[in-house]
Amino acid sequence: MAQLSARGERDRSAALAIEVAGHVAAPRWWRRVAVRRYVFGYSLLAPAVLFVLLLVGLPFLFSLYLAMSDASVGDPVARFVGLENFRAALESSAFWSSLRNTLVFTVGAAICKALLGTTLAFLLMQPFRGKKVIRALIVMPFTIPIAVSALGWKWMFDSQFSVINWALSRLHLIGDFGTAGWPVWLGEPGLALGSVMFVNVWRSFPFSAIVLMAGLTSVPPEVIDAAKVDGANFLQRFRKVIVPMIAPILFVGGLFDTVFTLSDLSIVYLLTNGGPDGATEILPTLAYQVGIKAGALGRGAAISLFLFPLLLPAMILLLRNLRRREW
Amino acid sequence: MVRSARQRDVRRHLLIYAGLTPYLVIAIFPIFWMLITALKQEPDLYRMDVVPFWFHLPPTLKNFALLFQSTFYMDWIINTLSISFWVSVITLLTAVPAGYALARLKLPGSENLGIGIFMTYLVPSIILFIPLARVVSVLGLQDKWWSLVVVYPTFTIPFCTWLLMGFFKTVPFEIEEAARVDGCGQFAALLRVVLPVSWPSVITAMIFSFTLSMQDFLYSLAFISVSDNKPVPLGVATELIRGDVYFWGSLMAGALLVGVPVAIVYNLFLDKFISGITGAAIK
Repeated sequence: MAQLSARGERDRSAALAIEVAGHVAAPRWWRRVAVRRYVFGYSLLAPAVLFVLLLVGLPFLFSLYLAMSDASVGDPVARFVGLENFRAALESSAFWSSLRNTLVFTVGAAICKALLGTTLAFLLMQPFRGKKVIRALIVMPFTIPIAVSALGWKWMFDSQFSVINWALSRLHLIGDFGTAGWPVWLGEPGLALGSVMFVNVWRSFPFSAIVLMAGLTSVPPEVIDAAKVDGANFLQRFRKVIVPMIAPILFVGGLFDTVFTLSDLSIVYLLTNGGPDGATEILPTLAYQVGIKAGALGRGAAISLFLFPLLLPAMILLLRNLRRREW
Repeated sequence: MVRSARQRDVRRHLLIYAGLTPYLVIAIFPIFWMLITALKQEPDLYRMDVVPFWFHLPPTLKNFALLFQSTFYMDWIINTLSISFWVSVITLLTAVPAGYALARLKLPGSENLGIGIFMTYLVPSIILFIPLARVVSVLGLQDKWWSLVVVYPTFTIPFCTWLLMGFFKTVPFEIEEAARVDGCGQFAALLRVVLPVSWPSVITAMIFSFTLSMQDFLYSLAFISVSDNKPVPLGVATELIRGDVYFWGSLMAGALLVGVPVAIVYNLFLDKFISGITGAAIK
C-alpha cells in the first residue's frame, strides 16, 4: 500500500490506475496533503536557497567570467580576454613562489597540527581535576578572532623588543641584539615563513585536538574492551579499532582546517604582508594585492581561482563522505 | 592501601599536569602578553634590561583611554554590533525555516539540498571576495559597513541551516502531531510548538552568526577603507599603525577589549560548533 501511494505520488497515471483499481480515498488524501506540504516546505527553503544562490553561486560564476576579462576597479567595461589572465599568472615568478609557499604552509602546518592535536587530545581524554578550566584556556587560540591574535604575535615577533628573543637571549640560546645571532623573525625569509606557519599552528592545534576528542568519545568503550579481551595491545587497538572508527570525523575536521588554512589571508597579511621580498607571499595575499590593491579584478580573480583545484578534491571527498552516511 | 591508591592518583595528576603545561603555556602566553602590554606605560614596553613579564612602572589604563579619545574605536564597536545584529536577523529569518523544512518535511531532494547548502560553507571567502567586491560596488555599498551585512550571511546561513537542521531532527514528532490534531496549521505548529521548544538552538545559531562574523578579516579589508565604517578587528589592525610607528599598547588594548569577550562566548558554544561541522560524520 505504501509502495503504491509512493509511486502514485510520483506518477500521475499510476495514481489514476490506483483510483480505477478502487483504492481512491487513501492516495488522493495523501496527495493533497503532500502537495500542500511541498509548497509549504519549498517556500520555507526559498529564502536561504535564494540567498546562497545569489551571493555564493552567482559570484562564483561571476569570478569565472572576471578571470577571463580585463575588468579593473576603475574601468567598469570589461573586455573578454580568454585565458590571458591565467597565462599571465603562470608566467610570473611571483605566482609560482606563492603557490610553493601556499603548499609548504598548508602541508607543513597540517603535520604540526596533527602531531600537537593528537598528543593533546590523549592528555585531555584522561580524567583529572580542573579539566574544564584547562580545556577552556587551551582552546582560546582558536576562539579569539585571528586578526586580533595576529596583532599580538606581530608584537611578540618585533625586530627589537621581541619577548621571545628576550627569553631566548636570557637562556643564552641566541646572541644579543645587534649581533648576527639575534633572529629577526619576520625579517628573514626562512624564519618569516616559519613564523607565519607557527601562528597558524598555534591557532588551529586546539581545533585538531577537540575534533579528535569528539571522535574518540564516539567510540563505545565496549568495542575497545572487546579488542582488549581478544588480546590486542594498545597500538593494535589504536590502529585497527580506533582509527577506522574515528576516520570519518578526523577526515571532516582535517578538511575544514585545510579549507580555512588555504583561504586565510589575515595571518600573512598582518604579520609580513608577503615579505620579506615575497618569501611569505601566498595565493590569498597575492590575489588581494593584485585584485583589490592594484585594482586588476580579472587578474586577481584568476589567481584566487587557482586555489579551487586545490580545494576541489577535498570538497568532493567530503561530499562523498556525507552522502555515504545514512541520515 | 587507601594511602597508596591516593598517592597513585596524585602522581597520575602530576604527570598529566606536567604533560599539559607546555600546551597551556603556548596557548595562553600570547594572550597574557597582549594583556600586560595593554596595561603597561609606554616606556615600560621598551626595556630589555628587566624581566618583561611584569610591571616596572605602575599599570595604566591610558592605552584604553587613547582608543576612545583619539581613534574611531567607539564607532568600530557600534559598527561591529550593528553588523552582527543585522547578520543575525537575516540568518535566523532564513536558516530557521530552511533548517526546519530540511529536517522535518520529508521533501523530495531535501538531502541533496541540505548537503548543497552545507557545501557552500566550504566555498572560501578567498574565491568569492573579488566578485563580491563588484556586487558590493553595484549595490553602492562600498566603504559602508552595510556591505558586510550583505556578505556575512554567505557563510552564516549555510552553517546555521545545517546546525538547525540537526537540532530540529531531535524534536519529537509527537508534539507537532498533537498540535496538528488540535487544529494548528503547519506554519502555526512551527511557530507555536516547534520553535518554543527549540529556542536554545535558535540562540546558538544567533551566537554563531555573531562569532563567525567576528572571525572575518578578508571581506572587511577588501570592501571598507573609510575609518569610521570599519568593524573592530579591521579598525584596530589598520588605524593604529602610522607608517612604521606601532601604538603597541593601544593596539593590544583595542584587540583584547573585543577579542576576549568574543573568545569567551565562542568558548561556551565550542562543542556545538564542533558537533555542527562533524555532526554528519558522527551520526
